[in-house]
Amino acid sequence: MRFATRAFLWSFIPFALLLAGSFWVIQQRVQTTVRGGLRSSLREAHMSMARLQKENELQNSRFLQIVAENPSLKAGLQLLLSDRKSGAAQRTVEDQLREIAETLRFDFLLISNSDGLPLAGIVRVDDQLVALDIHRLAPPQQGFFTLGGSTYQVASFPIDTNSENIGVLSIGERFDLSELSTPTVLARNGKVLRSSVPNASAAELEAALGRCGERAECETQLAGGTYLTLAADSIDFGDGYTLRSLQSVDSVSDPVQGVLRKVFLFASLGALFAAAALSFFSSRSIVRPIGAVVASLRESELTGTLPTFQTTPQTIQEIRELTESFNRAAATVHESRESLQQAYEEFVGSLASSLDARDDYTAGHSRRVSEYSCVIAEEMHIGDRDLEVIRVGALLHDIGKIGVMDSVLRKAGKLTGEEVMLVQQHPSIGRRILEGVRGFQVYLPIVELHHENWNGTGYPLHLCDVKVPLGARIVHVADAYDAMTSARPYRSARCHEDAMLELKRFAGVQFDPGVVQALIRAEQKGRINRVAQDPAPSRRLLSVSRAAAERESLEGSMLEGKLG
Amino acid sequence: MLGRVLRSALLILAVGAFLRANDIDGTIVVQHKLTKRKVTASADLYQRGAAVKLGADREQDPLDYERSHVVVYVEGDLPSSPITAELAQQDRRFSPDLVVVPAGSTVSFPNMDPIFHNVFSLSKAKSFDLGNYPQGKTRTVVFPKPGIVFVDCHLHPNMSAVIVVTPNRWSTKADASGRFVLPDLPPGTYTVVAWHKAAGFFRKTVRVTDAGNAAVEFVIPLGEDGAVQEARK
Repeated sequence: MRFATRAFLWSFIPFALLLAGSFWVIQQRVQTTVRGGLRSSLREAHMSMARLQKENELQNSRFLQIVAENPSLKAGLQLLLSDRKSGAAQRTVEDQLREIAETLRFDFLLISNSDGLPLAGIVRVDDQLVALDIHRLAPPQQGFFTLGGSTYQVASFPIDTNSENIGVLSIGERFDLSELSTPTVLARNGKVLRSSVPNASAAELEAALGRCGERAECETQLAGGTYLTLAADSIDFGDGYTLRSLQSVDSVSDPVQGVLRKVFLFASLGALFAAAALSFFSSRSIVRPIGAVVASLRESELTGTLPTFQTTPQTIQEIRELTESFNRAAATVHESRESLQQAYEEFVGSLASSLDARDDYTAGHSRRVSEYSCVIAEEMHIGDRDLEVIRVGALLHDIGKIGVMDSVLRKAGKLTGEEVMLVQQHPSIGRRILEGVRGFQVYLPIVELHHENWNGTGYPLHLCDVKVPLGARIVHVADAYDAMTSARPYRSARCHEDAMLELKRFAGVQFDPGVVQALIRAEQKGRINRVAQDPAPSRRLLSVSRAAAERESLEGSMLEGKLG
Repeated sequence: MLGRVLRSALLILAVGAFLRANDIDGTIVVQHKLTKRKVTASADLYQRGAAVKLGADREQDPLDYERSHVVVYVEGDLPSSPITAELAQQDRRFSPDLVVVPAGSTVSFPNMDPIFHNVFSLSKAKSFDLGNYPQGKTRTVVFPKPGIVFVDCHLHPNMSAVIVVTPNRWSTKADASGRFVLPDLPPGTYTVVAWHKAAGFFRKTVRVTDAGNAAVEFVIPLGEDGAVQEARK
């Protein structure tokens, strides 16, 4: 996981969680508040309903008492009581009741005797006052009463004469839910009689209210919405009747929820952007200095040198500490590497010196070849790293001669075929010696192939032109030049000019022409002469024999390639 | 009715034997409506089942109604001839609602409605209570003393009728135009009384001569405030 991603997630996820949590809490609060408000409004409606009911009852009772005090009605009742079988008497009372109902606009009137037995009654059906079939009906004296699809609310008043109760007058009015301010359901024993709840069938209402059971206040599902319902239990409606008001919770809470949702949508989008931007900038401010450090480390991986970081007081403290400790570590590594390098150089130098020390003639040869090679390589614009390889490789190029007997190497006379074979083995021997040393692998091509010729007549592998590594070709030229300009037991040193001529002559045959050209350029700049003259051998034999010349060609530059 | 006519004829014959009798022709002038009567029945009445007969009343001129409800009679100790009259209860009303009978007459109260009625009166001239009785039944009352008798029904407070018991046989109701005739009065000076339920009594002295019919006019007046002014002589 990238540092930037991590920073983003760490800043965004808590943000999102906090937002979601507060959204949830607020939504719950709103729901609770809305429900509470709804409950209290329902309760208020119920209270006003109950109050209205009480007021009505009081008013009604005053004025209905007067109705019950109607003397002609009393006379009618007395007539009916005295002659209960007479249809005319019943009709007379019914007629009286009709008159009262017409005048006072009642929907239901019933006279019962003092035991509550109905004697005569009328009811308004389809705007017609019709006589009640009192033998079949048992209307209550208080509360609700359903007849022919209409529900009546009934109140009863005693009819007294001479302080004696002779009967009861029940007065009813059609119960109309539309007078109530809240949607209301009138039910009897779970069956819906009247409803002013919009868009809800009786069956749906029955199912919804059935879930509420006996609870006065409950929440129920109706037509896909949540409804809060409250039973009007402060009023007694009589036998099995319940009056419940219903209020849709959704219709009240939905607008609030909608607004909330909108607010939270915007808030969350804003927060998302804010979190994204903040985490982006914060992660970048952290990552950038680290990135700079990483980049320079990566570069140092390519160059092989450990970088040193510059810090300023403005640098972030952690980064400064990091770079400072890195710098200290790098310094230590650098130091140890330098001492290792020194030890290595000394070792290589001592190896070369030990070879050179076997023979006066070859004293300083390895060091000189190394110097010439470096000059040529510089002339050919070879990079520092390869130059270093060439320098050390040139120092070690004749190391294989350790494995060649002194008698052969120092033989002043002509070498036998067997001896030539032995001498020619020295590159392979050198390779075998150095193979075991880790870190010397890079020098193996120079050591093994510095006697390969441009035309493929060299040894040991007979490679030609560019198949031979450049380092080996350079060392080949440098070796030949030094061999020619140095004295040998079998010949004296040749002069510089001769040597150069020889090299030019065999450029493209024995030597890489490019390398020879580079040598010529270096020579023209005066770099070869100076080098050559510097370490002059302590003593030189002036006598030159034929044998020496042959030897020269063998172990040195193989000037006469055909002899190879 | 036939008896009454016969008796009147006999009286006229008896008086006419020695004295030539003449009529009093009278006119009742009513300028304003005197009773607050509902001419048109309320719609509710139609819903009561039994049909209510309203035809004549609806068209009737209120003043015609008032005029036809004025009773005219002659005061004085003149011979009476009792008759039998009928005051039925029909469609929750007394029918007719005004009956004029000479003292000693008998009035029957038949119940034509399918419901009970209970006819009674608390008037000084004659108080009675006939009790509850159903359709088809009738009860009778004799009115020996002259006076105004208000008749009510216990069961139906709306029902009301008046029986005017006059001292002698010279009594009548004005017709719708306000005319009345008190026929065959022997010559002399008489006090003619007009009575209206709301306006009360109005008296006028009329001299009846041989020369011909006497004329009398009753103006049932109203005060500025609309109240009936007593105009007694």
